Amino acid sequence: MKKFAAVLLGATAFMSVGAAYAADLVVGVSWNNFQEERWKTDEAAIKSVLDAAGVKYISTDAQSSATKQLTDIENLISQGANALIALAQDTDAIQPAVQKALDEGIPVIGYDRLIENPNAFYITFDNKGVGKLQAEAVYKLVPKGNYVVIKGNSADPNADFLRSGMEEVIGAAVTSGDIKIVGESYTDNWDPANAQKSMEQFLTKNNNDVQAVVSENDGMAGGVVAALTAQGLAGKVPVSGQDGDHAALNRVALGTQTVSVWKDARELGKAAAEVAVQLAKGTKLDAVANSVVFDGGPKKVPMHSIFLAPIPINKDNLNVVIDAGWITKDEVCNGVKAGTVAVCG
Amino acid sequence: MADQNTVAAVQRSQVATSGNPLQRLLAATELDTRLIGMLAALVLVWVGFHLLSGGLFLTPRNLWNLSVQSSEVAIMATGMVLVIVTRNIDLSVGSIVGFVGMVMGVLQAEILPLSLGFGHPMIWVIALASGIALGAAIGAFQGALIAFLEIPAFIVTLGGFLVWRGSAWWVASGRTIAPMDQTYQLMGGGALGSIGATWSWILCALICIGIAFAILSGRRQRRRFNFPLRPVWAEVLLTGLGCAIAIAAVWVANSYPWPKGVAQDWAEAHNMVVPPEGLFISTGVAIPVLIAMGVGVLVTFLANRTRFGRYVYAIGGNPEAAELAGIRTRWVMVRVFMLMGALAGLSAAIGTARLNAATNALGTQQELYVIAAAVIGGTSFAGGIGTIVGAMIGAVVMQSLQSGMVLIGIESPMQSIVVGSVLVFAVWVDTLYRRRAK
Amino acid sequence: MLDTRTPLVEMKDISVSFGGLHAVQDASIDLYPGEVVGLVGHNGAGKSTLIKILSGAYKRDAGAIFINGEEASIANPRDAKLHGIETIYQTLALADNVDAAANLFLGRERVTSIHTLDELAMEAEARKVMGRLNPNFRRFKEPVRALSGGQRQSVAIARAVHFNARILIMDEPTAALGPQETKQVGELIKQLKADGIGIFLISHDLHDVFDLSDRIVVMKNAQVVGTVNTKDVTKDEVLGMIILGKVPPGAIAGPGAMTD
Repeated sequence: MKKFAAVLLGATAFMSVGAAYAADLVVGVSWNNFQEERWKTDEAAIKSVLDAAGVKYISTDAQSSATKQLTDIENLISQGANALIALAQDTDAIQPAVQKALDEGIPVIGYDRLIENPNAFYITFDNKGVGKLQAEAVYKLVPKGNYVVIKGNSADPNADFLRSGMEEVIGAAVTSGDIKIVGESYTDNWDPANAQKSMEQFLTKNNNDVQAVVSENDGMAGGVVAALTAQGLAGKVPVSGQDGDHAALNRVALGTQTVSVWKDARELGKAAAEVAVQLAKGTKLDAVANSVVFDGGPKKVPMHSIFLAPIPINKDNLNVVIDAGWITKDEVCNGVKAGTVAVCG
Repeated sequence: MADQNTVAAVQRSQVATSGNPLQRLLAATELDTRLIGMLAALVLVWVGFHLLSGGLFLTPRNLWNLSVQSSEVAIMATGMVLVIVTRNIDLSVGSIVGFVGMVMGVLQAEILPLSLGFGHPMIWVIALASGIALGAAIGAFQGALIAFLEIPAFIVTLGGFLVWRGSAWWVASGRTIAPMDQTYQLMGGGALGSIGATWSWILCALICIGIAFAILSGRRQRRRFNFPLRPVWAEVLLTGLGCAIAIAAVWVANSYPWPKGVAQDWAEAHNMVVPPEGLFISTGVAIPVLIAMGVGVLVTFLANRTRFGRYVYAIGGNPEAAELAGIRTRWVMVRVFMLMGALAGLSAAIGTARLNAATNALGTQQELYVIAAAVIGGTSFAGGIGTIVGAMIGAVVMQSLQSGMVLIGIESPMQSIVVGSVLVFAVWVDTLYRRRAK
Repeated sequence: MLDTRTPLVEMKDISVSFGGLHAVQDASIDLYPGEVVGLVGHNGAGKSTLIKILSGAYKRDAGAIFINGEEASIANPRDAKLHGIETIYQTLALADNVDAAANLFLGRERVTSIHTLDELAMEAEARKVMGRLNPNFRRFKEPVRALSGGQRQSVAIARAVHFNARILIMDEPTAALGPQETKQVGELIKQLKADGIGIFLISHDLHDVFDLSDRIVVMKNAQVVGTVNTKDVTKDEVLGMIILGKVPPGAIAGPGAMTD
């Protein structure tokens, strides 16, 4: 009841400010650890959207401290932020600060990491979709045959998440017997060298009778390709991955890896900034364009969310990553024979 | 003096002529019973997996793979023996592998090609030499902190464990660096990174000659000092045994043919016609295995035949006594850690060459496997005790367990449980053995 | 028996303290060639500490050491050995995990022309030395851990006498020995003395000390009580020095002597 009142109060406050003084809007971003290189890409994307909309950008860096992030958010509130984007260091520890902002009528967007609060917004990539895209790319080429599944660290829930996405694609074929999984293993620490050893053993076990490999990320795909190369099978057996690692994109161009599912950080930043501007202007959570209700978090709290679709990068759309400035053409095309890949000429 | 020797000779020949045939054999050949026990355990593991996997384990292909997969840990285990013998520990080796691997990767993929051009024949030499030197420098630095500032090795290398893993990230902001230089890749093994049938047999012949020479020169030396000689039959048996093992190993390596795809590509590249029944090209001993064997011989030589090795063991047995005997114990320690670092660098080269990439995760948890290999191989944490060959067999035992379990479809959490249990069990058995031997 | 010769060793006004505690204070002792000087006193009186300064195991805070009349800088065991000072420690200081020959040559290994250890040469030499010292010693191939107390002691003694020592320090050399072996050590000391070697003998056993030494230095509470010629005093008088610090007539009193 009290919460409802707060939201209502907040909403009216925005309506009175929002329309008249759009130029004075402020969006605050609380980074958990800005030292990590990747967030600079996200920040640039957020800034570009805010600049275009004439909204002011302020930010803080919690330097990997959950405690510092609490005071960071309070600072952003007192600096007059009209909407907050938070990349949580600790999804539970951040709750009091998020609640405080919501109580003051400031909308909060959980960025990339879930902040489970019914009044917060959640924006991220569709992780389950990644596993699906990986399996799809391989399944398209090998609808029948022996599959090897290389999963990530057994202690990382993402490894099983991705695996369940794969199951949606190949499950039926496995049941019908078209696909036989001849090797499946977790990989300690997602370590490519461990993936390589597993792959070597699977090849030995099946006397090289393996038609496809679904690997959960690019690093491990590298280990798989190294094992395939040793048997002269690289390029003949489709291999999946994710992350858009530079080495992996090069392998895609060389033909030794089939797909790298890529999550464009700039798309995520852009989408978050757009939602932040909408919310700052007083748009209600359920009125945000493209939003869905998600309740798949640990506490099953229903939340308004946007899931961005990752892009499967294969031989034919390598231009996407190059055009996005994610990687240079030279890096992609290193060692690629002329005439084999469109973007490389 | 003559009296002394006669007495000793009588003593020894008494042992050699009494007891059951097995005891007589062991006494006459002076073989290490502990080592024989380990080899027996290894054979047991192999046969067990062979049966469980439906006849997949004891195949040339799997054994060849096993040899390559074991080489990185085996190389580092030789250094770890000396570290543990001096009553120290090195927890940083896995992280050093990660850091040095990353530096070698960036060097050969991004820096050297700028000045030398891609595929320059010197690239692998410079990359490898820098890697080993960097590893040695890191080891020496840590060793100096331990020896001269008297910070416990556990703390210094625990710090190193974090520092070098973090440094690996800084080298390339966590990117994966690939591909490696063509020649450099040969260090990782594979069909091309192996020496082929002819050279493998030459190697085998050299090993046989080496064993025979060592035994003969040992005999000559003993005669010079009027020491009792081993019975001739025992000498012949030892030579034959060593040679037979070498022949068997080379035979297995040569029975593993180049994979069809690789042979095909190679034939096409060399404009050869592939016969309908396919090409049979023997793979032979893999280069990383050759490197590991070389390291094993070198470190064994250092440990048993040089003052440095003698001091390492003396320090382990009684650090105070070593100091009082006038040994520069601190410098010995620095050199032990330096050797460990250099071996980690070498191991990083093999790891990156094999993966054809330098990744941030390279060497993660390897320190644990290296320590476990040394300990399974009979190295004692009390200090002063441990053999190089034991540690290398320990590395093969560990890798056999892991590879075997993947073959029979056991998931990685269960693998960890098994390897961990075997480690504790092996050390317990060893403790019992030593107690009885006393 | 005032000696006009140059002393082999002269330690002058040596002081050392560990963490504010005086272990040795202004101690001066000397030793002549072919002489045995007994060093006696209670546990913790400072005997072992004083002697470890001479053998390079400890560093002194103050004082000077003269060898053959020349000031010597002894900062570690290597320096001491270079001056021909050899020590048999009470703990024996053996590396338990290696064999007798390895211990005998520890730090002074025989090497071949290519700098590898010449194991057989060392074993042969070890057999020769041990044959002289302890003819019953047989266990050359075993780590010294497996040896009896007496056998270990003879390894430690062999190590000290084998490298042409001029000055020998023996810290409780007979502590682990039976009567027969103790007698052998006594014979050895007499033989070494005859060869002109100077010996510092630290012992709890006054009987041994009276038997073997020419002079006796008594220490108490980190200080030298006094120095006496063995033939001039009785055991009771020496006991008086050890317990009370009371100096008998004819002795040279040190800084630790009781003043009345």
